[in-house]
Amino acid sequence: MQPEMQSSELNVSVLLSVGAHPKTARSRRADQDAKALELALSLPKARVAAIHAGDAGDEALRQYLGMGLPALQVLPQPKEADVVPVLVDYLRQHPATLVLTGGKAEQGESSGMLPYLLAQELGWPVVPRVAAVESVGNGKAAVLQALPRGQRRALTVSLPCVLCIDEAAPAPRQSAFALGQRGKIEVLSAAVTTDSERADWTVQPARKRPKRLKVVKAKTAADRFKAATAKASGDGGQVIVPKTVEEGAEAILKMLKEEGVLR
Amino acid sequence: MITSLLSVLIFIALALAVIGAVRRARLWRQGQANPVDIIGGLLKMPRRYLVDLHHVVARDKAMSNTHVATAGGFVASAVLIVLVHLFELDSRILAWALLLTTATMFTGAIFVYRRRIDPPSRLSKGPWMRLPKSLLVFAASFFVLTLPAAGILPEGAGGWLLAVVLTAGIVWGMGEMFFGMTWGGPMKHAFAGALHLAFHRRAERFEDGVGRSTGLKAIDLTAAKLGVEKPADFKWNQLLGFDACVQCGRCEAACPAFAAGQPLNPKKLIQDMVVGLAGGTDVNYAGSPYPGKPIGEHGGNAHSPIVKGLVDAETLWSCTTCRACVEECPMMIEHVDAIVDMRRFLTLEKGATPNKGPEVLENLIATDNPGGFEPGSRMHWAADLSIPVLADVKQTEVLFWVGDGGFDMRNQRTLRSFVKLLKAAKVQFAVLAHEERDSGDVARRLGDEATFQQLAKRNIKTLSQYGFKRIVTCDPHSFHVLKNEYGELGGHYEVLHHTTYLNELVQSGALQVSKHQGGSVTYHDPCYLGRYNGEYEAPRELLRSLGIEVKEMERSGFRSRCCGGGGGAPITDIPGKQRIPDMRMDDARATGAEIVAVGCPQCTAMLEGVVEPRPEIKDIAELLVAALVEVDEPAGQKSTGQKAAVQTAEPVKMAAASKAAAAKTGEPA
Amino acid sequence: MSDIIRRDPRREWILRNRLHPLHASLAAPQDQWMGPNGVLRKNPHAVGFIGPNGIKRIDRSGSQTGDGGSVRRSGAAEVQLPVFRVEQPAFYVVVVPDMVGGRLSSHDKDVLGLAHQLVKQSSAARGEQGAVLAVVFGAHKESAFDTAGVDRLLHLDDSKYTGYAPEQRLNVLTSLERTLEVSQWLLPDSLEGGGDLGRRLAAKLKQRPATQAWALAEGLVTCRAAGQREDWQRPASRILLMANECAEPVSETRHEVKPLLEELARQLELPALISRIEDKGQVAVDPSAVPLGEAEFILSAGNGIRDFALFHDAAKALRATEGASRVAVDNGDMPRFRQVGATGTWVTARVYLAVGISGAVQHLQGIGQCDKVIAINTDAGCDMVKRADLSVIADSTDMLAALIKLVEGYRGAEEGEEDAA
Repeated sequence: MQPEMQSSELNVSVLLSVGAHPKTARSRRADQDAKALELALSLPKARVAAIHAGDAGDEALRQYLGMGLPALQVLPQPKEADVVPVLVDYLRQHPATLVLTGGKAEQGESSGMLPYLLAQELGWPVVPRVAAVESVGNGKAAVLQALPRGQRRALTVSLPCVLCIDEAAPAPRQSAFALGQRGKIEVLSAAVTTDSERADWTVQPARKRPKRLKVVKAKTAADRFKAATAKASGDGGQVIVPKTVEEGAEAILKMLKEEGVLR
Repeated sequence: MITSLLSVLIFIALALAVIGAVRRARLWRQGQANPVDIIGGLLKMPRRYLVDLHHVVARDKAMSNTHVATAGGFVASAVLIVLVHLFELDSRILAWALLLTTATMFTGAIFVYRRRIDPPSRLSKGPWMRLPKSLLVFAASFFVLTLPAAGILPEGAGGWLLAVVLTAGIVWGMGEMFFGMTWGGPMKHAFAGALHLAFHRRAERFEDGVGRSTGLKAIDLTAAKLGVEKPADFKWNQLLGFDACVQCGRCEAACPAFAAGQPLNPKKLIQDMVVGLAGGTDVNYAGSPYPGKPIGEHGGNAHSPIVKGLVDAETLWSCTTCRACVEECPMMIEHVDAIVDMRRFLTLEKGATPNKGPEVLENLIATDNPGGFEPGSRMHWAADLSIPVLADVKQTEVLFWVGDGGFDMRNQRTLRSFVKLLKAAKVQFAVLAHEERDSGDVARRLGDEATFQQLAKRNIKTLSQYGFKRIVTCDPHSFHVLKNEYGELGGHYEVLHHTTYLNELVQSGALQVSKHQGGSVTYHDPCYLGRYNGEYEAPRELLRSLGIEVKEMERSGFRSRCCGGGGGAPITDIPGKQRIPDMRMDDARATGAEIVAVGCPQCTAMLEGVVEPRPEIKDIAELLVAALVEVDEPAGQKSTGQKAAVQTAEPVKMAAASKAAAAKTGEPA
Repeated sequence: MSDIIRRDPRREWILRNRLHPLHASLAAPQDQWMGPNGVLRKNPHAVGFIGPNGIKRIDRSGSQTGDGGSVRRSGAAEVQLPVFRVEQPAFYVVVVPDMVGGRLSSHDKDVLGLAHQLVKQSSAARGEQGAVLAVVFGAHKESAFDTAGVDRLLHLDDSKYTGYAPEQRLNVLTSLERTLEVSQWLLPDSLEGGGDLGRRLAAKLKQRPATQAWALAEGLVTCRAAGQREDWQRPASRILLMANECAEPVSETRHEVKPLLEELARQLELPALISRIEDKGQVAVDPSAVPLGEAEFILSAGNGIRDFALFHDAAKALRATEGASRVAVDNGDMPRFRQVGATGTWVTARVYLAVGISGAVQHLQGIGQCDKVIAINTDAGCDMVKRADLSVIADSTDMLAALIKLVEGYRGAEEGEEDAA
């Protein structure tokens, strides 16, 4: 009885930002945020509130509405604002059991600090890289955390908490154009705190990072010579026509071991 | 006695028919408004029937004659029956005429009967098996009944036994022919079909000359509901069109998805819409089912959702929009329009595009190409070709619309070949380069009208900034969309497919080509070039000018089978028993050709995806480049291409020879 | 080979005596010779040898000319690097390495390299010596903290720090902040825990961190921002979350790796903590359930596979994620979500093992980001073989069977070893 009561009262707030496509920088629903919304919408008996702190006029918000949200609350903020205080205020006034966010924004500093700062201000626990929420009840949420290369770790977190949704979470549902057009964008009033620290930082398009060369710190001339004259790898691979299949298998196994993928 | 009874019976049958007609019309009127010219349409109807419809029916000569005899006989008989037996006009001539028409009808009906003895699988059974018998009974009964009026038999001959038999025959015959016509019997096709011809949604199809209307129709994106959810969301004349279906199954025989075992059968789809229109289930359907889906599990009514009720979503997503069904339909039903209408609802309202669909649409929105490639890399294939960019030159003769094939490594070979040909022909041309966007073809056919309109509007805006005479493209899909679908949004251009344009260049002598070296060639007609735009001849003529005698596949020209790449079918990827391109490749293999000439990047990709060994796939531009005679102008001697050609005699001879050969091979055809 | 240096007095004597008839043959490589037109040519590179700290030494006494090669070369890999000593650290640069698998990852080493640079710079600027303090949680297997640049090590081996315990770990770090003079916090901005812990620390200390920082020069740090599309340059902050390859790892010094625990234990009073996040352990993930795009090792099937049961067995034995070419999918042998390529999934595997795939352009596009590609194919001329780093020209069925046998043998041997250890 008790857990059911609780789950029927599950208030989920999803914080949504406007993303940017990595290739064109065109604004879109942010990938991780969309996954967070998907997760929220697929939680049973959840009352989902979606909040965006930023420009209420951004068309990309309609893509979130197109996922089946009837309405989206917007706390209007200019680009240079620090959105943490206004979100903390909002979450204090509108208590939620779960706050879902993406891991990192696709615009601005992309520091991934927002969920941590919110959790710190609210005094809640925060779990990053959540791939799935398995159950919510009895004051605890059981979640799966994504580890690199598809691995998962089970965690339980006490409620209320902030969960950052990872890339590995289920893909968001398709955004339906008509729902997006009909969904409501409710603009709330909000104070603005300007992020002044950021003002003198310089921003430029990402430079391509040089690929690290295999620098051989040779201790002897012979080593240096070897390093300088070694055949550059990459121009065509090795082709083996094995006499026996075992010979071929050995060669493959050797490379698998070298690459450390044999676990 | 029998005459007075006859009048009553005819009167009752006609009255019931009129009541049925009104009821049927009310069913159609459940659909959305779509203004038509009622009087004009009705006036044009006979011509549309006799010319346009007959043109389709006449592809099957025997069936055409059968229908002319039966239908013609029936219509004339019906009129005469009213005159002779209802109004009892005492005229020998009329009676004799009636005898003649019923006899004609009877003869036709015998052929209908014979066809029904061992009917092909595409024909529906059920009530349709009864129809030839009804036709025979109707014709025979009225023939005998008219004999006294014609003075051949005395009044009352045959006694009461004949009277009873005749009465029964008349009741049966008129029940089928008059009552059944408007109350849902097989004869409904005549009534609904005639009205469908009069009020067809695409009246342009019946215009003189090459009447053609293949572009999808735009929808208002601010409407309360986008796309078709329920049967009642169709336009009323679309519903009328569905009702006209005669269940001949020609569409089924032509449908590539059906042949591949995907869960689509155009005939069943239309019948399901009829079920939806009237309410009920599909248990009474007596034709081939959707492959893998048993009959009797689907049903609905005009105001219940179609998907998951009347049909499953996979059925709608199996369609390649190849238009083979529309091309074959003697009742001029627009299957593709209906399918796209329903897809629009699924995509725009439900967000339920299957498989890779959402990803492709998102890519189109964010990067203007379906693959999600960086827009800046659109012209990487031409990095070393120094093609003029329209943004720099502002004006050009020919705008070369590259299409998304520019991102595909295979298609880049075609594009480079085409550019080489343009240069060899000294054509003044330019590209839009990074200003070009996807034409919107895939988005639209996946039902995403919003993305289509957005892409189209932005393309139209870009195009409006520059001066060019014509657009030439290697992609029939872009070609179709630019030519036929941008008009509704304000973009009117002269658009040519590259084969048409190259043919112009070769015929005018601007391009010199030698004989094709290499294996025998068959040609695969792209749907969007052939059926959609009627261009069957230019690619063939071009191949002839290379000295190639095309080994035609069994399904070619307007009956060409789709490669499986249209309508977003590779994206929605509905599983079937086999793959459409494999079937198409079997068609190609059957000709023994070593090369399949194509004119579409989609076809190239789909056919090249067939596992080897198989014939080689070459775009016509590639074949042409291989045989191109490059005319080197001597240094310091500026001259036109024509003059230079005269100076180098050898290639000209060859070109002339190939032309002569082309003329030879061309004549018998 | 023995590492004991054995002297050969006669040889040394010959080497000293340039007039000895055997001198020329023993004193290789020749450092001077008569040029073709009578000028004496010297090879400056052939003179001298490399000293123990990597600097070239020229010894004109002759005692070492041309010598040492045979002996020293074998010992070259174990050159004793000079020890970087810090007696009384005045301040610390604290690094919390990820210790993936109990060992320093290359990312950790880069961060330690940067920490060492920072210590040197700050020491020079402040006029007092600082040290790199590495905080290691849980058991580890690392033995090379010295060459990685760890001056001080705080190893907390309590079981409460193992697994996912960000709160406990944060508790330690905040105590350190209170008790030590920490000039800078350096954490790898990784998915393995560093990124998480660093952000927690930043939030707790109310310090704005530099995140995804990849270059640090003259007090300015460059951070990847806006979803990898922009570089933001800003003054270096106290908490630096560094990206991969942010600096060269330490390579020229050894470090003391003095444990910090004793000297600190008295001061390091951890406040009581109610844990709100509980680690329930890693969930066993079937390699076949790993999404293709994330998989590290993919075994991919193409048209050349006849025995798919064997293929699935091979994938299981290799613990690889299964992939497929379009043809294998179209033929219905593999499900659609397994398709690799431009029209399927773009994969990022470290090793992509393509069996019986000839390599259509779209497929090769899809595996463009794989590090190593291995091909098993009967056709040596196919495009996949051209792309592959290693190709074995053989029948797929035989090769898969041989591979399964070999891998099972290898696994058995390894497990035996582990049991023995």
